[in-house]
Amino acid sequence: MTSQALDGILVIELCGERGQLMGKLMGDMGARVIKIEPTSGAAERCIGPFKDDEPHPDRSLYFWANNTSKESITLDIETEDGQNIIRELSSRADVVLEDFAPGYLDSLNIGFKELSENNESLIMTSLSGYGQDGPYRDYKSSDLVSLAMGGIMHSCGYDDVPDSPPIRPSGDHGNKIASHYGLIGTLTALVSRDITGQGQYIDVSAHEACSSATEHALPAYLYNKDIVFRQTGRHHGATPTSKTLCKTSDGKYMIVFQLFNSLHSWLSLVSWMKEDGMQEDLEDERFRDMARNRTRASEDADHAFEVVRRFVSAHTADEIYRGAQALKFPWGTVRSPEENLYDPHFAKDRGMFCDIEHPEFGEGIKFKYVGRPYSFKETPWNAKKPPLIGEHTTSILSNDLGFAESKITDLIDRGVIYLS
Amino acid sequence: MKPKDFNPLLGHDALKGIRVIDFSWIVAGPQCTRILADFGAEVIKVENESNMDYIRGSAPVGGSTSPNRSGLFNTLNRNKKSLTLNVMHPKGMELLKNLISVSDVVIENFSSRVLEKWGLGYEEQRNIKPDIIYCSMSGFGHSGRDRDNVTWGPTAQALSGLTFMSGLPGEESAGWGFSYMDHTGGYYGTIAILMAILHRNRSGKGQHLDLSQVEAGIGLTGTEILDHTVNGRDFRRKGMPPGNRSPERGFAPHNTFRCKGNDRWCVISITDEKEWGNLVNAMGNPAWCDESKFTDMESRYLNQDELDNKIGIWTSQKTPNEVFNILQKAGVPAGAVQTPDERVDNDPQLKYRDFLPEIKHPELGTTRVEAIPMKMSSTPWNLKRSSPLLGEHSAEIYMELLGVDGEELASLYEEGIA
Repeated sequence: MTSQALDGILVIELCGERGQLMGKLMGDMGARVIKIEPTSGAAERCIGPFKDDEPHPDRSLYFWANNTSKESITLDIETEDGQNIIRELSSRADVVLEDFAPGYLDSLNIGFKELSENNESLIMTSLSGYGQDGPYRDYKSSDLVSLAMGGIMHSCGYDDVPDSPPIRPSGDHGNKIASHYGLIGTLTALVSRDITGQGQYIDVSAHEACSSATEHALPAYLYNKDIVFRQTGRHHGATPTSKTLCKTSDGKYMIVFQLFNSLHSWLSLVSWMKEDGMQEDLEDERFRDMARNRTRASEDADHAFEVVRRFVSAHTADEIYRGAQALKFPWGTVRSPEENLYDPHFAKDRGMFCDIEHPEFGEGIKFKYVGRPYSFKETPWNAKKPPLIGEHTTSILSNDLGFAESKITDLIDRGVIYLS
Repeated sequence: MKPKDFNPLLGHDALKGIRVIDFSWIVAGPQCTRILADFGAEVIKVENESNMDYIRGSAPVGGSTSPNRSGLFNTLNRNKKSLTLNVMHPKGMELLKNLISVSDVVIENFSSRVLEKWGLGYEEQRNIKPDIIYCSMSGFGHSGRDRDNVTWGPTAQALSGLTFMSGLPGEESAGWGFSYMDHTGGYYGTIAILMAILHRNRSGKGQHLDLSQVEAGIGLTGTEILDHTVNGRDFRRKGMPPGNRSPERGFAPHNTFRCKGNDRWCVISITDEKEWGNLVNAMGNPAWCDESKFTDMESRYLNQDELDNKIGIWTSQKTPNEVFNILQKAGVPAGAVQTPDERVDNDPQLKYRDFLPEIKHPELGTTRVEAIPMKMSSTPWNLKRSSPLLGEHSAEIYMELLGVDGEELASLYEEGIA
């Protein structure tokens, strides 16, 4: 097989929903990722949706999506035997990833200090709600809490739905932002280790990660004392801006914006609308001036948007999307995620989705997953199936750690490991 | 491989010795290269006066027309160098090729054919520097029928499904209030480049990294794609998106709640019975909590309209920060929906962790910028300088790196090449 970018890197993952994406992204690029799960299975295995809506630890699609390319070993890390197994695995690992409450692994004597004693090149990344120190260190967090405290929700929601709250974009993004930064820190430390041979400890805060992902919100206040507020389906702003959501004739929505970017593009838009006789008064000189001056918010801009909205509402989403893109307008359909499976550019030409075999459901059974988030030309992305609960417990203990069968049976008897 | 001034006894920059030629602009590309620069890579932002980074003109402090007074630009481009170079001039192109020959990474987020038109596709770059890592960050990628489509952050969010996933059921999409996929597209650029450097360190080989902002967004919808391909269920259905509730986990309460003040809100997300008990205690054990419809997670989830109303009566007497502190001290995952000014002025955790360090900027004076959200024990990120003035490092780069002498440099400026 072709080589992958992270071939030869061994990762021990002690992560739940906040940090699981780090190990997946490393595993999909060739690292060997061993996920340590409690003997009852990772809590993420209880999150739906489930295959055929049957709740079962091996049927969580949420777990599948975030745990491809990993091996699974079940282990009670609160036992001395469990801790010894973690120590032995870590002594030969390149990376340990964890997202427990600050101080928890230290209290079990498997924190960075202990694990790096016999492995000075070990990199350990801790991902927590607020960081390993500070007044909020022991506070609880969740995806929703991270998105609220980090300011993301302040920018998202409606300005035309009365009494509506700020909205958290669904899809686990508070966890994902934290994981992305955790992975960046881990990879940076690996690059540094290529020069120094030394590992290190990385302390990533989900609260800070979300706080650093709000675009204009902080600069607007820090530099201009402006406070942005949420506006339906478009950018936050310190002043109201024109709407961008337009409904199409087939009941979908489009993002329609940047009407006045240049005279050339404005004229092309008006002549497209004229083909259907729907340009109304947009040929007027004052709109050309606005295009020349790249005007943004004004009453005329709102009026122009209304005329365009009427034009959009007379066409299907696909007609508008294709037509506008042909004129170089960056408009896009507000798609539901599954609709990309039927977009030939992503599904066919770019091969964005991939089939992964699930032999536990029968020979040759496979399911289509979302594929690579980037295309490496030399070292390809390649995801393998997510592990069943404890699927690799025996193989890791006997092949990697050389445990005799009797020792493994003893660990099962004492509840240190669990085999389904 | 070791930089010559490397001293193992001193803390060093993780990415010291990595040189990045950065053609990127707006937010996504600069977000990517900012992280590389923060960890010590030498990032050279290639610009010119007639075609500069659009963000240089974004919300300039004092409404000035100077290209050096945008706060957002300062945040996104600190620790980088600015080189003015006109690639349309043959001499400029020759100098650029010299620069590539001594660099590790080339990155751009133009639309997908620009570098090919310049004669600087991956193959040409590789002829100049055999192990070059070329990262292109376009909307749709460098292949496929729609490769010439145009995207901005909001477009990528709409097409990938992220906009649709944010909102109240039965309403228009609330979407994202900013270009989330510029941040996240940037992270994927950084991740890809770091992985490619690791591979190059082992194999001696560079490569082309073809990133698409929409694809990076689609990559974040893994669960929703599987629900369709495995269960045949669409995310576009009645009752979706779920607002601030949590049908996938079946947790309740899990929502926003109104607080004291104008348009002020908090969030509470209960994950187990212990946390529910803590919440009940913190609210003063109101009698309604004992009703059978609220005693376990399943019944609370089924009755959450009523549940949320009752909790909302309690929260509405308090500010978001009061709710946050009372509930966190009681062991409940709760948060304030913090405003930008609260994060800057009143968040003791961000303050303790030095999230907004100061840096002097030649035109803006003392500024504050958002930190890299992590601490590293031996190679922490460093804030060495503010964003570069347009062309601030041209002379240094032309003379010290490319061996241009003073006389030649003067003529480069004169001919509009530098």
